[in-house]
Amino acid sequence: MTTAEAGPARRTGVPGFVTAHGWRVVVGLALVFLMLYPVVSDDLYYQNMIILSLLLAIMGSGWNIISGFTGYVSLGQSAFLGIGAYTTALFAVKVFEGASPFWFIPISAVVAGIFAAVVGSVLTRTRGHAFVILTIAFLFVMQIVTLNWSDLTNGNHGLSLPLPLWNIDYQNWPFYYSLLGLMLLSVAMSWWIRRTKLGMGLIAIREDESKAASVGVNTSVYKVLSFVASAIFIGAAGGLYAYYLTFIDPRGMFDIVVSVQVVLAVLLGGRGTILGPVLGAFILEPLNEITNNEFSGGNERLIFFGGLLALVVLFLPRGVIPSVAELWARWRGAGKAALVGARIERPVAVREADAEPEPAHGTGRSLLEVRDVSRRFGGLRALDGCALEVEEGTITALIGPNGSGKTTLFNIIDGTMSADSGEIRFDGAPIDGLPPWERAHRGIGRTFQITRLFREMTVLENVVAPLRSFSWRQLAADAVSGAEAQRAQELLDFVGMRAFAEQRAAALSFGQQKLVELAQILMLDPRLIMLDEPAGGINPTLVDHIVEMIRELNRQGKTFLIVEHNMPMVLGLCDPVLVLARGSCICRGTPAEIQRDERVLDAYLGEHYVADQQAGVS
Amino acid sequence: MKRKLRFIMFLALAVVAAALAAGCGGDDGNSGSGAGTDTAASSEPIRIGASLPLTGDFAEPGVAAKQGYEIWKELVNKNGGLLGRQVELIIKDDQSDQNVIVSDYNALIQKEKVDLLLGTFSSLLNLPASAVAERNKMLFVEPAGGSPEMFSRGFKYLFFAQQATSQHQADLFAEWVTGLPADQKPKTAAYVIADDPFGGPVAEGIKEKLEAAGVETVYSKVYPPETVNFDAAAAAVASKKPDVIAQGSAGLADGVNLIRSLIKVGYSPKQMFQASTPSFADQYSDAVGLKNTEGVFYAVSYHVDSPTPGNEEFLAAYKAKYDTDPPEDAADGYAAAQVLQKAVEEVGELDQTKLADWLRENKVDTILGPLSWDETGAPEQAFLLAQWQNGDEEIVVPEDAATSDTIVNPKPAWSN
Amino acid sequence: MTQFVQALILGLMIGGVYALLASGLTLIFGVMDVINVAQGALIILSAFITWALWKEVGIDPLLGALITTPAMFVIGWVIYRLTIQWISGRPASTSVLLTFALALVLEGIMGLVWSTTYHSSTPGYVDESFRAGSFYFPKAQLFGCAIAVGVLAALYMMLTRTWLGRAIRAVSENVSSARLVGVNARKVAALTFALGVATTGAGGSIASVLYPFLPGSHYQWISRLLGIIVLGGMGSLPGALVGALTLGVAETMTVTYISPRWATMVPYAVIMVVLLARPQGIMGAKLREDVVV
Repeated sequence: MTTAEAGPARRTGVPGFVTAHGWRVVVGLALVFLMLYPVVSDDLYYQNMIILSLLLAIMGSGWNIISGFTGYVSLGQSAFLGIGAYTTALFAVKVFEGASPFWFIPISAVVAGIFAAVVGSVLTRTRGHAFVILTIAFLFVMQIVTLNWSDLTNGNHGLSLPLPLWNIDYQNWPFYYSLLGLMLLSVAMSWWIRRTKLGMGLIAIREDESKAASVGVNTSVYKVLSFVASAIFIGAAGGLYAYYLTFIDPRGMFDIVVSVQVVLAVLLGGRGTILGPVLGAFILEPLNEITNNEFSGGNERLIFFGGLLALVVLFLPRGVIPSVAELWARWRGAGKAALVGARIERPVAVREADAEPEPAHGTGRSLLEVRDVSRRFGGLRALDGCALEVEEGTITALIGPNGSGKTTLFNIIDGTMSADSGEIRFDGAPIDGLPPWERAHRGIGRTFQITRLFREMTVLENVVAPLRSFSWRQLAADAVSGAEAQRAQELLDFVGMRAFAEQRAAALSFGQQKLVELAQILMLDPRLIMLDEPAGGINPTLVDHIVEMIRELNRQGKTFLIVEHNMPMVLGLCDPVLVLARGSCICRGTPAEIQRDERVLDAYLGEHYVADQQAGVS
Repeated sequence: MKRKLRFIMFLALAVVAAALAAGCGGDDGNSGSGAGTDTAASSEPIRIGASLPLTGDFAEPGVAAKQGYEIWKELVNKNGGLLGRQVELIIKDDQSDQNVIVSDYNALIQKEKVDLLLGTFSSLLNLPASAVAERNKMLFVEPAGGSPEMFSRGFKYLFFAQQATSQHQADLFAEWVTGLPADQKPKTAAYVIADDPFGGPVAEGIKEKLEAAGVETVYSKVYPPETVNFDAAAAAVASKKPDVIAQGSAGLADGVNLIRSLIKVGYSPKQMFQASTPSFADQYSDAVGLKNTEGVFYAVSYHVDSPTPGNEEFLAAYKAKYDTDPPEDAADGYAAAQVLQKAVEEVGELDQTKLADWLRENKVDTILGPLSWDETGAPEQAFLLAQWQNGDEEIVVPEDAATSDTIVNPKPAWSN
Repeated sequence: MTQFVQALILGLMIGGVYALLASGLTLIFGVMDVINVAQGALIILSAFITWALWKEVGIDPLLGALITTPAMFVIGWVIYRLTIQWISGRPASTSVLLTFALALVLEGIMGLVWSTTYHSSTPGYVDESFRAGSFYFPKAQLFGCAIAVGVLAALYMMLTRTWLGRAIRAVSENVSSARLVGVNARKVAALTFALGVATTGAGGSIASVLYPFLPGSHYQWISRLLGIIVLGGMGSLPGALVGALTLGVAETMTVTYISPRWATMVPYAVIMVVLLARPQGIMGAKLREDVVV
């Protein structure tokens, strides 16, 4: 179990029958039981039951990586069981006849991994319904190809593997302990992934994929890696399973019902947790056997499992472990919940820099250049030949009436959207073709009008999540390293949110979320900070704080591009001001010039405003 | 929220129950795994286990085989039992699912600790099931499952209780067709082959022999066994106007539907052969229309009017219990049990290895006729060639088993 | 050439029936964003009801549609109120899993009631054909196709000409603006689901004549229907018709010119190609939420 799950138990600190280490004792005992069972008891019936539970647990652990961590629900994961099974069987029957199938288990894992890399890189370009449907289609395509490619696979006639050669006195020990080992490995891998940058990125993708990309997470690579990680142990288990069954055929090996059982097991145990899949498997498989012996009818079992799946989806969507953990936490009392109401400290920036603000000075270099960018949505032209420049060192404002294309422009600059035509240059180089995370790596940081934090992560994790670069080695680094944690603490200090570091992001108020989001993109150490309505929907005191922080950061050399409707703030803070109307930049000038410009009054403030002024009303 | 709580409680209970069950199992698990070798408790009934596809794709033959097993049990028990002990059947439902059948046979051997096993239905299920039996050194007599793959594994405890493996099932038909006088001998043939380990090889076997005899193959395509619409395939076959159509059908539905599609397209071949579908008796004739059955050939292991020893007894018992003629699959189940019975009676104990050795050396009389086996457990006899005539199933070849002395040839056109 | 035209005829007639069967799935998706995986099982349920009416009462299976359609409407409404309505707003996968669970339960119930063997409604005309020159038109297919197109037309008229239809379309376009103009979105969703399930009534009755079925047949149906609506554009009724005709023809052509064993691949191949290359299908809204890249 991760520290995240252990959290509720750990924070109690109250003596009780379950101590902080309670769950560890339980897990340890269960493991000892599993290790010793075949030695202690020679009952093959229960050995078979545990073997099948281990198999389901391995599949569940795998599925949990792509679907629990990354949030891509796959109903095709049992295809990797079939791929692994056929790989081992084909090697044992056709390539190295007479060799023990155990030799080919690693090959099964590799082949499953290769399939997952290829399929994953294609399928993870879609999500939601499309992804679910595609995974089902993938499973059935594999089944049909295996059925019809009979020269290789023997089609519907199936493949028979040699019978195990070891003495019958050893029962199924080799299967049992291999699967137990595989299960431990796959759980260890889940645990390891969860505590690395890779795992943190996967959770970020689950929570908000395009946000993850905009803070520098290379989502393509992360998703494919998680697909591969979810497949390799299933592939290896498939090889073992084929040998255990000694006979495989396409329908049995590429079976959607197996996929559904895997999903049910993980949902039951706890999706997204480390031990949930194992717990779920050890609940479901014995139930499977018991109902098989009690009901003795396939129809009753269909009703039972269908019903169980429906009940879990409807009433226990988070699974046993998270639900129990939550109940436990609630029972232990509110804990730190009261902190949500704590005061935001006065930001460090404000405390340190009480001096009279001096106006920002540009360096004369152009940092961001937007050239003739257009973008349509259906018949609507959101951007129409928009051209503008942001000078390095300035705090540039971008204003304009609602629907003038400001947010669309932000989306195109940070790569969330692509332009129909035109060019974006950052620091002199075109960035149009780059994915969002590349742009983040180059130094573009962006906040959202409606804040988009990773809701299930803590504030600290949110701030640590952004990545300044991509490297393969970094994937394996600790999710929260000491240096990063310190830097994040400093940034939280800077925005005045240090006291909230361990809070879940979803529990924060809107204004607090804005501050955290600012700290989050500062982690990228961006050269250009794009703020989408930083003052929108928050109280005036906080607005002042934010203004101070922007000034301080600007003094440190950050360039700003700010979309804002709060005119006093814009006029007091920014220079120059750009005005966007009907999808193009109509005017650029100092606040004073902008206030006087007829075109601006006309476009932005509307004719009523002009009329009112002339009438002396305002 | 309350509902959620209650559900969690239910789950917790289920876990505890499962753990307890596992614990209990552990306690009494020390009694040894040598199931079936223990003959000391002779007053105890002999327990015979099998798992059959009572639901799912193979439910039709599975249920029939169960009837055959049960009729056998009743007759044996009425006649004083086996080795003086009553017989008890433990039959599970594998749902036509390979994963379940492995669990089932493991459970039968290890948990139920049965003394003897009987096989299941279809090659797909017998392949993994027989491996479990072989691994546990338990005799495995199967009532169905004649695909060539079964016997290529060098198993010692496996015996197939029908006359021949599937690729030889239609030998008599091929011989009859190729032996027709020159003016009647077909020139072209179409093969519609189910991708099924049992039905498929039947058509492949015919194809091989007809091609060898110079009959040209004008259509030969494999279809998935669950196919139910043959309109397009029938149209394609009809456009080739073959003299012979041979279908390696997997079950009832695909065989019936090919005929219905042929009726719709309006093409009737001179000779029509189907693997197992026409043996479904009333179900078959109801589905295609009684008149349309006229002249259709098929290979069969059993006929109700067979003069084989014990058949009368079986027939009477079956009719008394189910009020209809037994389907072939029920007879096959009964015959498999007969084989097991004979071996036990001759050997006089339940030593699995001795039983298997005895079967390899000897011939057993069953309601299907005498059966004997080669080293691999494959039977060495021939199927009967049957034909629907005037709404009845008749055996036409071989002569000594024939129930009708004429053969309808060529097949009349469809009746509508 | 004759063979080609005959295959085309058969494909189009099958496609007409497919269109009716797919219409409910696409309607439910378009309005509720729910992929009703149980649709296949509901078709089989309707087929069983039709079969029972034909066998026990002697009602012609195609006329049985008059009974099964309202029956399935009620069943759809009950299913919505018991299950689907509780998961609105949850992720896409939730509805897939829930309706998959429903399909399993329905399969089990049908197996208990009618056993897991093949059933088929076979009225007198089932094996007869109309002939035109060297071509033939199986009567059952022709009648089935005609009824399917009729029901589809009625459904289309209802969606475009009635208040309910306008409400349904309003909700499918934009839930919150529909609320603003006084549409009770939840009620509309319940009615849409029931309506979508009701299409399996007539569809299942026709299918019971054309295709032998058993409770497990629903897997074949749902994959085919998914292929159709993905191809046509998810949520689009005209798209379902175009997709169904295309798939029907593609299947018969595959059987005729390649091999029946590859025909089962057609729906999946369609799903993969369309979702990856042209996610919006032939017509209709874009299903695929594209990932930023």
